Amino acid sequence: MAARFLSKSSSGSSLLGALGTSLVGVGSVARQTTSKLTYSDIFFQQQRTFVQMGTKLKVVDNSGAKRVMCIQALKSKKGAKLGDIIIGSVKEAQPRGKVKKGDVVYGVVVRAAMQRGRCDGSHVRFDDNAVVLVNKQGEPIGTRVFGPVPHELRKKKHVKILALAEHIA
Amino acid sequence: MRLEKCWFCSSTIYPGHGIQFVRNDAKIFRFCRSKCHKNFKMKRNPRKVKWTKAYRRLHGKDMTQDSTFEFERKRNRPQRYDRINTEKVLQAIPKISKVKATREKDHITKRLSAGRVNRRAEDRRELEQSISLVKAPSVLKEDATLTLPKQKVTVSYAQTENTPMEE
Repeated sequence: MAARFLSKSSSGSSLLGALGTSLVGVGSVARQTTSKLTYSDIFFQQQRTFVQMGTKLKVVDNSGAKRVMCIQALKSKKGAKLGDIIIGSVKEAQPRGKVKKGDVVYGVVVRAAMQRGRCDGSHVRFDDNAVVLVNKQGEPIGTRVFGPVPHELRKKKHVKILALAEHIA
Repeated sequence: MRLEKCWFCSSTIYPGHGIQFVRNDAKIFRFCRSKCHKNFKMKRNPRKVKWTKAYRRLHGKDMTQDSTFEFERKRNRPQRYDRINTEKVLQAIPKISKVKATREKDHITKRLSAGRVNRRAEDRRELEQSISLVKAPSVLKEDATLTLPKQKVTVSYAQTENTPMEE
């Protein structure tokens, strides 16, 4: 019954977020049910959702943090998408870095597994959820950015991150 | 605006269609529809999936080498806008695509013509063996129109009416 309710609600609704946390043992990934669920369906039809409270993201700069857990997605009740800013708590950090474990930091989502629509009608999605730590003004704390970044950042005025990026998708 | 090719099935992706997947090594995979995208997520090799262009080209079902493919090669060098050139190109595009389509069709017909003899022999065999499905054998003996070997049917009409031709 919970599964059918899930299939009715669209991706990223706030109800889904609540249900997602209550599905223990599934990993915080909402499942899209089909009429006949086979093993391959469950494995490969993941419904990607927003970056919300509790989402663990990879840090892809050299600020010192390794993993960050989102505690608040700014500017949206549903959650953060590609290019949005989040507030996170550093869960894992390198021993000598600019940030330590337990710090509360701002971050810009540079890669998101959920697809984001572009103005030409296409959609982009990345392989993982990644974030670049920034300060309150939006300037990156680190000096290098790893991996591809989307050019959605240009519209959001994160020009410095684009300048540091090795590849712009 | 650029018309891309689907990574999985090699069909053209028009604007507003499909999903672009960026892998962490910065390789971009474009898919024309969710069918191709899902097959990719299943880690299927397009060279082994029968309905893709990659399979067809690899197994010689479709044309691989032709001069018309040269027109479609991706050129990364920007060209200065030349109005006359642009007009000529726009006029040439439908001609080239027509030539390409006819050549591809001919390639397939040529490929299939090798088996025409076999297909006709098979059809003949089917007709001989399974004719009973169409009409009962007893009826066939009276009406000879469905069987293959030509049977001389005697028609009785006056011969004198046709002789004026011989004169």
